[in-house]
Amino acid sequence: MKTRARIVPILIFFLLAASLAQAAFKLPAPEKLTLKNGLVVYFLKNAEVPLISFRLNLKGAGSAQEPGELEGIANLTADQIMKGPAAMGAEAVSEALDFMGARIGLSASEEYAGLSVDCLAEHFPKVLDIASACLTSPAFKDDEFEKARKIRLDGLKSIKDNPGAAVRTYFTKAYFGTHPLGHLASGSEASLAKMTAADVRAYYQKYYGSKGAIGALVGNIEKDKALELLNAAFGGWKGAANVPIGTMPPIPAPKGMKLILIDKPDATQAYWVMGAPGYALGDKLTAPATVMNTLFGGRFTSWMSTELRIKRGLTYNTSSNFQTYRRGGLFTASSYTRNEKIGEMLEIVFDLLKKVGTEGFSAEEIESSRNYIQGQFPPTLETNASKAGTYVRLAFYNLGFDYYDKYLAAIQAVTQASAKDSAAKLIPTTDFVLVVVGKAAEIKAQLQKFGTWTEKKISDPGF
Amino acid sequence: MKKSLALGVLFLFAGASLLPGAFRKEDIKIHQLENGLKILLLEDHVIPNVALYTYFRVGSRNERPGLTGVSHFIEHMMFNGTAKVGPGEFDRKMEFAGGSNNASTGDDRTGYTDWFPASALEMMIEMEADRIQGATYDPKVFESERQVIASERRMAVDNSNDGILSENVRATAIMAHPYHWDVIGWMSDIQGWRRDEVMSYYKTYYAPNNAVLVMVGDFKEAEALALLKKYFGPVPASPPPPVVLTVEPPQMGTKRVTIRKEAQVPSFQVVWHGPSVRSPEFFPMSILGDALLRGQSSRLYRRLVRQEQLAVRVGGGQSENIDPFLFQIDVQPRPGADLARIEAVIEEELAKIKAEGITDAEIQKSLNMTRSGFYMGLQTISGKAGQLAEAEIMYGNFEKLFTLMDNYSAVKNPKIIEAAKKFFTDDNKTVGTLIPLGGVK
Repeated sequence: MKTRARIVPILIFFLLAASLAQAAFKLPAPEKLTLKNGLVVYFLKNAEVPLISFRLNLKGAGSAQEPGELEGIANLTADQIMKGPAAMGAEAVSEALDFMGARIGLSASEEYAGLSVDCLAEHFPKVLDIASACLTSPAFKDDEFEKARKIRLDGLKSIKDNPGAAVRTYFTKAYFGTHPLGHLASGSEASLAKMTAADVRAYYQKYYGSKGAIGALVGNIEKDKALELLNAAFGGWKGAANVPIGTMPPIPAPKGMKLILIDKPDATQAYWVMGAPGYALGDKLTAPATVMNTLFGGRFTSWMSTELRIKRGLTYNTSSNFQTYRRGGLFTASSYTRNEKIGEMLEIVFDLLKKVGTEGFSAEEIESSRNYIQGQFPPTLETNASKAGTYVRLAFYNLGFDYYDKYLAAIQAVTQASAKDSAAKLIPTTDFVLVVVGKAAEIKAQLQKFGTWTEKKISDPGF
Repeated sequence: MKKSLALGVLFLFAGASLLPGAFRKEDIKIHQLENGLKILLLEDHVIPNVALYTYFRVGSRNERPGLTGVSHFIEHMMFNGTAKVGPGEFDRKMEFAGGSNNASTGDDRTGYTDWFPASALEMMIEMEADRIQGATYDPKVFESERQVIASERRMAVDNSNDGILSENVRATAIMAHPYHWDVIGWMSDIQGWRRDEVMSYYKTYYAPNNAVLVMVGDFKEAEALALLKKYFGPVPASPPPPVVLTVEPPQMGTKRVTIRKEAQVPSFQVVWHGPSVRSPEFFPMSILGDALLRGQSSRLYRRLVRQEQLAVRVGGGQSENIDPFLFQIDVQPRPGADLARIEAVIEEELAKIKAEGITDAEIQKSLNMTRSGFYMGLQTISGKAGQLAEAEIMYGNFEKLFTLMDNYSAVKNPKIIEAAKKFFTDDNKTVGTLIPLGGVK
């Protein structure tokens, strides 16, 4: 084909890679706005569509430091904040937002809570006002807490009706145990039984504050106007004085194989997830591991997809990926297949896990993976929301706004050797957690050869 | 502090013009090749990438018993080899050049969506043109891909309570029209498709005169058009495919379907036969659907989730299909909720709309939601390409996209009352429930 003109001589790859990445696409550098209370908001004007996106990361308000007996409280607190200030109430908040076709979201991830505001530019002052009212003076009404608690308890039940979602939840619990990453965002039956509205109020008092928070605003608005509106909305807010940074204990590293079978008697497919430790945000392994994982299970023609779907028709979908946090990360792989094929599928997967770290990839594969990552990068920063989200994430983790320029250059510098080396370090062959959800009567015999399985019924309480 | 946030104080602005400068009808260049292929081109140089969307006017609507699901199967097989590009090579070449793609099949259309760096333009155009009529259906790959579809069906329908209920409700409500079956098809058909029948279906519907090609992104129009002519020009036109003749007869009484299976929580769905997306009645049905179901301020969310706490969530609305399709309400009931009470609440809310319609604020809210959703979809080259391709297929002409907001804005309460009275009748209704078998608690 005509388009394979890009052959990168190894000796000059640094220079060339950097120029390629720049020629291709660059995250525009934002301007820094500082509000009256010191809160920093990065700003970029984009007049292409009459929309504005605003993001605010609140350090510490994530789930990383939730006490185990109150798992889920970070997310429940975020949910309750959006039920509005005393002067307004949940119905008025949703009425006003729906009327403007606007969205405000607040949710807790592991290391921070994130506020997101997306709306038409003409509505932005009003929408920002609502976001500010909710975030800075939430009412925390008891009846709203009760409603949210019940919905979460119901949600825990319905997860078990969806084997694809259930296997993820069982995996999370099996892998992380009491580690904060094992906390369910919805809370568990035990934590929801114990949690009170007072706990939520206390969580807010302790963890929600402007100090250390970082914002970004991208959209069709002038800088001066943006600063004026942001100051009116958040410039007077202080909140909690000394919010902890929100880092978590080291990510567990399993020793040996931990194999768990969840019996779901009506399942006609068996679903599995496996996992092992990954790498931290900003780690030097990022580029080689990304090139490697793209080839292993990260795109349509990946090894996993080729062997399981394309060649054998065993499944509709399979993938692997790395999640990264400040101090560590997680590798997971997953798929599903009809009951009678689960043994065959897992055998193939185990072979691939062994092969990737010992044999590595061809030069053509490496080049393909690099091209793919470079080619698919620009659309990831196309919208106001994705740009704003990227600014707060980069600033929050101190990665710098040239992070992606360096990242793309590093991708271009990945070699067969560095990709193979990252696989040898990161792809598990003997130490991992594997959870299967399926009909035990039809799959158990196929699983015995892999080791000893701990068995549970899906109807057993909890996960 | 924030004083004036209650409803009513909110500015009721008049429906400002919908479409921004960056997406004007006059910037979209329309071409038609001699073989009938309609081409829409929009230059957009914000990112160095291109979205190439090829949509065919074929979906499960064109199928027949024994061949249900075949439109979707062909979508999969389009990646599995032509005489020039071997099985799996389409994806390998595309990914090597930095591109990715997906494809989707619906009741009314099948869409192929490619996203790639501008440097891959010619290769992608060549491969898309090649597979319009060049797919070879290698027998071994055919069998393997059949099992991929079976796995997809198990995932999306057989092991999904909502999926299985939805399939049953649709098949109960729709008796004669091919919308009777779901896009995925029946499992026995999936396991039984014959290669010669599949290939004959492919030959019938995959032709340049049955497609629209939309390209948005970083290219020069003249150069892109020359490439499209070079590769798509030689693909011959086919005889026009047969039209869908079957018209769903009027329903003559409430229908009910109950699924009993192992489950933790029940599921509930109720549907009525509604209008085609091309009918003037679509707009009042869409707006009243928003008032009932869209957002946490909607009437049924308020009643079922907030006030009576019978449900965890509600959703649905008027489906957008070429032939008349269903208005549906999906409810995720709370465990142990009284499903008859849920149905009664829905009927109460419908009775209010039949009597009084909805408020002006609700109409304005629906317009605002539609407008803001529309803009959000225009932030990306893929969003723009998708809007154009869908509009061309669904409305018969993409230009209708640019007057769509006028159609919404023209809806007044009497039209809403009229539509509600016409469609929300007992005789036109089908109710589906999924009841958990004992055992699992």
